[in-house]
Amino acid sequence: MKLIKKRGAEGISTAFGLGEAIDRRAFLRRSGVALGGAAVAGVLPAGMIRRAEAKGASPQEGVETELRRSVCTHCSVGCGVVAEVQNGVWTGQEPDFESPFNLGSHCAKGASVREHGIGEHRLKYPMKLTGGKWKKISWDEAINEIGDQVLKIRKESGPDSVYWLGSAKHNNEQSYLFRKMAAMWGTNNVDHQARICHSTTVAGVANTWGYGAMTNSYNDMHNCKAMLFIGSNAAEAHPVAMQHILRAKENGAKMIVCDPRFTRTAAHADHFVRFRPGTDVALMWGMLWHIFENGWEDTVYVRQRVWGMDQIREEVKKWTPEETERVTGTPPDVVKKAAQIMAENRPGTIVWCMGGTQHTIGNNNTRSYCVFQLALGNIGKSGGGANIFRGHDNVQGATDLGVLSHTLPGYYGLSAGSWNHWSKVWGLDPEWVKSRFAQDQVEGDKGKPVQPMNYKGIPVSRWIDGVLEDPKNMGQKDRVRAIFLWGHAVNSQTRGPEMKKAMEMMDLMVIVDPYPTHAAVMNDRKEGTYLLPASTQFETYGSVTASNRSIQWRDKLIDPVWESLPDHVIMYKLAKKLGFAEQFFKNIQVNGEEPLIEDVTREINRGMWTIGYTGQSPERLKLHAENRKTFNTTTLKAEGGPADGDYYGMPWPSWGPPEMKHPGTPVLYDPSKPVAEGGLTFRARFGVERDGENLLAEASYSVGSEIKDGYPEFTADMLKQLGWWDDLTPEEKQLAEGKNWKTDLSGGIQRVAIKHGCAPFGNAKARTVVWTFPDPVPIHREPLYTPRRDLVTDYPTYEDRKRFYRLPTRYASIQVQDFSKDYPIVWTSGRLVEYEGGGEEQRSNPWLAELQQDMFVEINPTDANNIGIRDGQMVWVDSPEGAKIKVKAMVTRRVAPGVVFTPFHFGGWFQGQDLVAKYPPGTAPLVRGEACNTAMTYGYDSVTQMQETKVTLCQIRPA
Amino acid sequence: MARMKFLCDAERCIECNSCVTACKNEHEVPWGVNRRRVVTLNDGVPGEKSISVACMHCTDAPCAAVCPVDCFYTTDDGIVLHDKDLCIGCGYCFYACPFGAPQYPQQSAFGVRGKMDKCTFCAGGPLADNSNKEYEKYGRNRIAEGKLPLCAEMCSTKALLAGDGDMIADIYRQRVLKRGGRPQTWGWESAYGASG
Amino acid sequence: MKTLVSTMAGLTLLFLGGCYESPNVTTYEPGVYKGPKDPLMMGKADQRAETLKKRFELVQMDR
Repeated sequence: MKLIKKRGAEGISTAFGLGEAIDRRAFLRRSGVALGGAAVAGVLPAGMIRRAEAKGASPQEGVETELRRSVCTHCSVGCGVVAEVQNGVWTGQEPDFESPFNLGSHCAKGASVREHGIGEHRLKYPMKLTGGKWKKISWDEAINEIGDQVLKIRKESGPDSVYWLGSAKHNNEQSYLFRKMAAMWGTNNVDHQARICHSTTVAGVANTWGYGAMTNSYNDMHNCKAMLFIGSNAAEAHPVAMQHILRAKENGAKMIVCDPRFTRTAAHADHFVRFRPGTDVALMWGMLWHIFENGWEDTVYVRQRVWGMDQIREEVKKWTPEETERVTGTPPDVVKKAAQIMAENRPGTIVWCMGGTQHTIGNNNTRSYCVFQLALGNIGKSGGGANIFRGHDNVQGATDLGVLSHTLPGYYGLSAGSWNHWSKVWGLDPEWVKSRFAQDQVEGDKGKPVQPMNYKGIPVSRWIDGVLEDPKNMGQKDRVRAIFLWGHAVNSQTRGPEMKKAMEMMDLMVIVDPYPTHAAVMNDRKEGTYLLPASTQFETYGSVTASNRSIQWRDKLIDPVWESLPDHVIMYKLAKKLGFAEQFFKNIQVNGEEPLIEDVTREINRGMWTIGYTGQSPERLKLHAENRKTFNTTTLKAEGGPADGDYYGMPWPSWGPPEMKHPGTPVLYDPSKPVAEGGLTFRARFGVERDGENLLAEASYSVGSEIKDGYPEFTADMLKQLGWWDDLTPEEKQLAEGKNWKTDLSGGIQRVAIKHGCAPFGNAKARTVVWTFPDPVPIHREPLYTPRRDLVTDYPTYEDRKRFYRLPTRYASIQVQDFSKDYPIVWTSGRLVEYEGGGEEQRSNPWLAELQQDMFVEINPTDANNIGIRDGQMVWVDSPEGAKIKVKAMVTRRVAPGVVFTPFHFGGWFQGQDLVAKYPPGTAPLVRGEACNTAMTYGYDSVTQMQETKVTLCQIRPA
Repeated sequence: MARMKFLCDAERCIECNSCVTACKNEHEVPWGVNRRRVVTLNDGVPGEKSISVACMHCTDAPCAAVCPVDCFYTTDDGIVLHDKDLCIGCGYCFYACPFGAPQYPQQSAFGVRGKMDKCTFCAGGPLADNSNKEYEKYGRNRIAEGKLPLCAEMCSTKALLAGDGDMIADIYRQRVLKRGGRPQTWGWESAYGASG
Repeated sequence: MKTLVSTMAGLTLLFLGGCYESPNVTTYEPGVYKGPKDPLMMGKADQRAETLKKRFELVQMDR
């Protein structure tokens, strides 16, 4: 008898995939059970099933499908996303094969972004914590209550007692508005993720050759002959970049990976260099030792374009193969081979990420990478460069737009001149802006009195100390009493137990995010926490800057889901309540409660002369988005079409006003092209002379330059001296008088400089010695927590500092203590491909969460056997500061004996406890686990306060 | 006539799992069912290689040979599909498949997505193309829309190729030639025979 | 007896009738797919092949 089923007899209406909300939730609940207790919290109240009548997010037959375009919100590659939208519902994703960045490709995260539009686990409406319970409130109630409380704090403790923590998830316009909002409120206590991802890069690189950004592009890597990765695991952190990298490898490029861990990127390398965490400078100088020893450096390049290499030589002399091995643990032949590959295959590029930046000597690490490339003559060349892969989708943009405690947008700094410049752009009286700040002087970092307005604020890595520290020891009137966590994962910061204490001490916590986040649950607050649902970038529009400095325009895919609102709308609401909306949006049209994004872009264009964010008007950006298929995938140059000759997204600097049609700069400091066509020199940022030596370039200049030598940055006076003043129009002359290329709002100085083939910012040498930094020549210093007590004497850390970004900062007083006996294992951290940052979005997305269900620690079989633990067993990781986390052991040779690794994307557990019950109903992420940073330790970079999360100590024991 | 095939280039595969989530997203494949997954050999040591695996749509499909109810068929493009109404979920095909492709949703409530579920090469099943019913039971039908499987179309490094067998073999040969290495066409022979 | 058999047969038919909505019984033939015909088996593969080839070049090739 043939067993057959009748067609249509099954209950199709109950099928999963039809997408009624109830079925999906039921499915997720079951998944939770299958996960072994990681259950989805609670059942949504009936009123919350918003799409019940909308038939889910599955595609429907016979309904018109519209294609809309955005850019992925995960990493900084800038992959185009194409959405299929039916009746306002995001029903499918298609490959954006026209994008020159990703050519249709995605990683696991990009291929699953549609889930944001379904958003079952999103925060659905404003909530507040009262009596230890979450209560639904309206937007108006929320804004009123929050506003009243911060105004009260302002009155009692001053504007610096409110901390504004912004986000690399803002688009450019929102980033700019966020920084401006903090200014209107009257504080520099504003910061974002860049502080803890690439701040040491920005500081180190900008102080070496001018700008703190990736010099080339992912696409330009097709031209590399060699690629050296250090502290970068592109295969997991920037997967689509690997398409370009592996193409370069197929073209014959040699690939070297230097990492303490045999990463998935290392699996594709020609040469793998394993070294001890925290010894980057030693390794770089160990390689440079071979370069100098064999005369492999580019002497002509160094003579013409580099200053201070002799001082570097002195330091490098100490790093013999023996000493390098003693410090890094890397055998001499392995180091030599890496140096030789780089010397014999030029141009070569260097790629670094957080493995290099997150150290107490992060700024030394980044500068040592730069110096290595300068010695080889690799900077300012296609196929060469410092390809610094940024982390978040818009961390480059948010950095450029100054969501930072030490600068205004465009790296203008905080001096009186900078405030004047921006006040002028905002159309505001500088005195009014000044009046918003605390007026009493405080003792600054250098022991001299400063105005709070000109004093850099507390960085995100230290906000907890802004709460916990005695105000007597701080560079501001009172402690931090309220915080806005606006698109920020606190599980990305260290010292969990102290953070918990800080949270519990504050009057007010406001979390503005698409998800409740770890911050909502990791503390035992009972009152005064507000959750405001923010939309994702797919529910709004605006511009975003990829790692290569290209700016892309995102269209809105769908309306904000649930009751969420875009960041700029929330900012408007708040500003209105706080009483400065009128000044805030003086030159920006507001429709209802939504500031017009294009007007914000134009205001950015009018003020960002320093880094050339002036040419990328909304119109040009939209033109590029529409014609993205016309851009060459290697050069990024449009070949024909309406954007002919432009580089995709006009990678900054795109000089002058938009009318000047500067095409953008695809490779920084590349003199082989005229400045008008994207060429450049090294920036003259550090004066013209040092110790009697010329800091300007010698006999090196960009093609077409009328000055056939180095020159300083352009000013009105310089134009007069050169006899070029009359090239300005009368209107330009009026605005340019007494100004320089950065502050001339007419753009005339830039236009005339470029007309004569010159770079507005001058033509100088890169400097290998940064005399303004604690270590002018980058040197090795042992991490604060190190097992190598023998090296502490030879390579000690810094002295403690009394005041640094407003706070006392410890170095030697920690390093002097020997923890290595009880905590003998070196601990480092990093990324997983499925997750990003604090991981809230991805751990709430079933398509991703299923692939990584457990927080784990990678441990070498030798250590596992010595401690007596098996693969898959739960273990405690104890930190020398007393914190502990409970995670699953993964026994693998990926890590060396004596070193363990944990990913940093987990949250929702705290020191062994699953906090699932503390989330508002229905919002707990599908996958939760310990945040590794709960047990990561103290330690901050000596220039930027970057946290030291890539090397500390721990002990491991069975749980 | 074009013969549709999959090929995963192990030199390019970086185990990023985009093929897996693209598939989940496109067909709303439930938790616990993996039409495609990435397998890594020598994990964490030199020689580490990853391969994305799904139904290879074999020329002489072993699943079809052992199926007691003959629910399998091959489309004109060489795609191996099955009728979920004929299928009894017996699991014979799972034993026969060299790639472990067939999946068995454990929960009966998944209803129409069981008894057996597998990669369709984004070609749906024996129902009207891209009807709601086809979507509910088999997922989206990209082939009928003139598109290729989304896993390959979204592959981060273009390691996974899906399309006309001759075309992908050509591309792969070019890459191997450029790299100067030996071809490692994992699974190719067992799926499509020695001639490839 | 005959009556019994025919009654039984009748009952069986009735029983089966209750089971099947459609009277078209599929008879078993080993190795042959008897399900409904997929629209992708209607002989338009050549036409499709051209479209898919173009699609492949557009999306999956390095460019």
